[in-house]
Amino acid sequence: MQDFLELIVGASATGCIYGLVALSFLLMTRPTGVINFAVGEWAMVGAFAGFLFLSEWEWPYPLGVAAIVLVLLATGWATERIAVRPLVERGAPELAPILALLGMLVIFRESISLWFGPDPHPVPYPFEFARVEIGPLFGASLAGSNQSFVIIASTLVIFFLAWWFFERTLWGKCFEAVAINRRGAALMGINLSRVTSLSFAAGAVVAGLGGLLVAPNISAHYLMGIPLAIQGFTALVVGGPGRVEGALLGGLLLAFAEQLTVRYAPVPPGYAFGVPLILLIVFLLVRPTGLLKAREARV
Amino acid sequence: MSAVAGSTPATAPALLEVRGLSKRFGGLVAVSDLDFEVLPGEILGLIGPNGAGKTTTFSMIAGSLGASSGAIRLAGEPILGLPPHQIAARGIMRTFQHNMPFPSMSVAENVLVGMHCGFRGGLWRVMLGGRAAQSAEAAGRSRAGELVDFVGLREFRHAGVASLSFGQGRLLETARALAGEPKLMLFDEPAAGLTLAECARLADIIRGIAARGISVLLIEHDMHFLLRLVQRVVVLNFGRKIADGLPHEIQDNAAVREAYLGAPGALAAGT
Amino acid sequence: MSGDASVLRASGSGEQAGRGVWAGLALWLLAAMLLSGVAFFLSSYYNDVYRKLLLWVALALSYNFLFGISGQIAFSHFAFYGIGAYSVVILLFQANLPLPLAIVLGVLLCVVLALVVAIPSTRLEGFYLGLATLAFAQLFLVVLNEGGSVTGGAGGLANYRLPPVFGMHLTGPWYTVVIVVVTLATFAILLRLDRSWFGRACRAIQDNEVAAAAMGVNVARTKIIVFTVTSALAGIAGMVYAFVDNTVNPPIFGLENAFLILFMVIVGGSGRHAGAIIGAVLLYLLPFVLSPLIGHHHALVFGVVMLGVILFQPKGLIGIYDSLRGRRRAAAGKAPG
Repeated sequence: MQDFLELIVGASATGCIYGLVALSFLLMTRPTGVINFAVGEWAMVGAFAGFLFLSEWEWPYPLGVAAIVLVLLATGWATERIAVRPLVERGAPELAPILALLGMLVIFRESISLWFGPDPHPVPYPFEFARVEIGPLFGASLAGSNQSFVIIASTLVIFFLAWWFFERTLWGKCFEAVAINRRGAALMGINLSRVTSLSFAAGAVVAGLGGLLVAPNISAHYLMGIPLAIQGFTALVVGGPGRVEGALLGGLLLAFAEQLTVRYAPVPPGYAFGVPLILLIVFLLVRPTGLLKAREARV
Repeated sequence: MSAVAGSTPATAPALLEVRGLSKRFGGLVAVSDLDFEVLPGEILGLIGPNGAGKTTTFSMIAGSLGASSGAIRLAGEPILGLPPHQIAARGIMRTFQHNMPFPSMSVAENVLVGMHCGFRGGLWRVMLGGRAAQSAEAAGRSRAGELVDFVGLREFRHAGVASLSFGQGRLLETARALAGEPKLMLFDEPAAGLTLAECARLADIIRGIAARGISVLLIEHDMHFLLRLVQRVVVLNFGRKIADGLPHEIQDNAAVREAYLGAPGALAAGT
Repeated sequence: MSGDASVLRASGSGEQAGRGVWAGLALWLLAAMLLSGVAFFLSSYYNDVYRKLLLWVALALSYNFLFGISGQIAFSHFAFYGIGAYSVVILLFQANLPLPLAIVLGVLLCVVLALVVAIPSTRLEGFYLGLATLAFAQLFLVVLNEGGSVTGGAGGLANYRLPPVFGMHLTGPWYTVVIVVVTLATFAILLRLDRSWFGRACRAIQDNEVAAAAMGVNVARTKIIVFTVTSALAGIAGMVYAFVDNTVNPPIFGLENAFLILFMVIVGGSGRHAGAIIGAVLLYLLPFVLSPLIGHHHALVFGVVMLGVILFQPKGLIGIYDSLRGRRRAAAGKAPG
């Protein structure tokens, strides 16, 4: 039972990370229609920034996180300015920004590898103690790695902020408007390039925070980007690319499928990485719109 | 079926028969129990106010939309429900109202794509090359060139599609569809976006097509263009056929007037 | 009004194509001899470089047809290279089949797997197709790593040799001749396909699927055929590759190379055979030139070059060549931008 609860906590935390990557992707694709394969690399940037500010330079955690967020904002903004804006303004075909971002993916990864080297780099935990027991629950104590709780809590906060942004703020409505009808939104006076910059900056922050949150457990490594990106995309396809909640739902489902397969299915553990892939393929073929439908316009 | 006896006696069997065609979108009835025919070598116009069901009918004939019920037969063979590429293979080719050329190819190559159904030669033969494939290709190119000349785009044979004006693009649509050696040509609002001179030229081309025995079915809003070109008219309103006859008969038809202009007195009453 | 009744019905025979066929064949033979002949003047180190260069050219050409001409975004191409390589080794040395049978079965395996991927995926649009093929490529790696003694697991398979073909041991420059033949055959097939009604249908689908269907093109079937044929060509190249280093292992077939093919085609000029060749040659040889400066991080240069091309010269290097020649191609292939 204890074992099972730990599994639940662990899977939820992993699912949250996937959800964050999916959210990041959503934030960029909805308003701009651009598919950014480099989200995984942004997570990697967040992780390495964590290493730099927190391990190497040993800044206090809150200050470090603030600095990391700034770095991520700059990264997202710069990526958009370099690889997306010139192409969109030129009226290039849809494929062009996607390919440009693929180029950026490689540039990010290789730059980090050049700067930091190929070894994994440790990133510290935000809190001192490694485990926390949350009292007896159903006759067993709900324990889990402390970091898992940090991840879950942070993810919930971020998703809440994202939900609140889209549902309650004017800027969120602008994003939705641009997602629904780009030209119409521009005609209504919405500044398209501001929306695009903001969406990429926000996407970078979300993905980077995901990387930062998972890094203490797995260390920052220059190859961590692509697997995370694939898992994030899978979460998005499963949950449905239309809604913010879908990203989190998809991530959790994916993580649980993975963990349960590893724990209980009679296959070698290496196949665990096959689970997201198979899930992705199945969903793409059977239900590409995902589980949650996009919200219909409220007339 | 026909309201008035026409001057084109239906001695030859109809090329295209539409029987009891209906289309419902949920609760909305777009086309209801539609019956009409297109005779060989005839130019038939399908008209009606906005929302009358012309485009829906057109799409069902062209294979891009399924029907809720009814039948469509081409030379006696049922074709309702076939996908667009099989409709083309059976001998119905179409143009697009908004011009859909292939931008990566030249004018002549666009026309060559129209000949797709005529190129039958398995892939193995293509890959292994050989004389038959090469001479078929050469024959195709020369015919494409002739078609391009026929519609009057000779100077643009090897030009890119982007160098054509909208009206010239419409001519390309026509040549490309003709390349498929159709029995029936479907024109989707052919006059849309054309100048008067371009309309006249297109009308000449369409007459030339019909004179060779190819039937033509066109939907159109421009009455001036249509009524002088077609030999017979079918009028739709709210998804139903309300008239079927010669152009001058249609112009005098009260039901048609009412469909377009409203009931007599409606204008005066300001409704 | 111009025109004649006969234009509306098919005209008769075309010009004499006979002479052209023989001239073409002679050119191909000449190319084969020249390219093979080079091998005999190279040291074994350069022979190795040359062989791999030829294989990359073959891969880039087939990928160009899939991506540049037919417009299918796929990341599975290099995986099929790997499937071809692994399958011929496994069939030869673990199932102990004779070479011809191993080759045929290997090709069949590629075709079957390609159909399995293509048939459901052709309904998917751009990004989703890319995602599905990416997942397939990753799944291939997982299978390789977990394949135990069949695939050699993470270490792969090594220490095997090409069995004698018709009693001859094809080593050294003679094996390079084999690679030359395979590469030229790939090129010839793709060229033929491109210049036929099939190639036009592929370009039409890429340009406008709806219009292509209205002209009689069976879009789904064409897409499936393209995916299958190009993947099978990649698989054949893979089979040849298996005996170049006489070793196959999972890292060789990782995602890096999947991206690299894409970069090669884009940098050279997407949609053009010459572009694919130029891109392959350039990006394959670049690391050799750059390694004194930048060590193993040539991928960084690839990323930068790729980005640069998309931003500044979307038609690729072949586009620069075209403008220098003052030629404007009416039939330009797909080019981003």
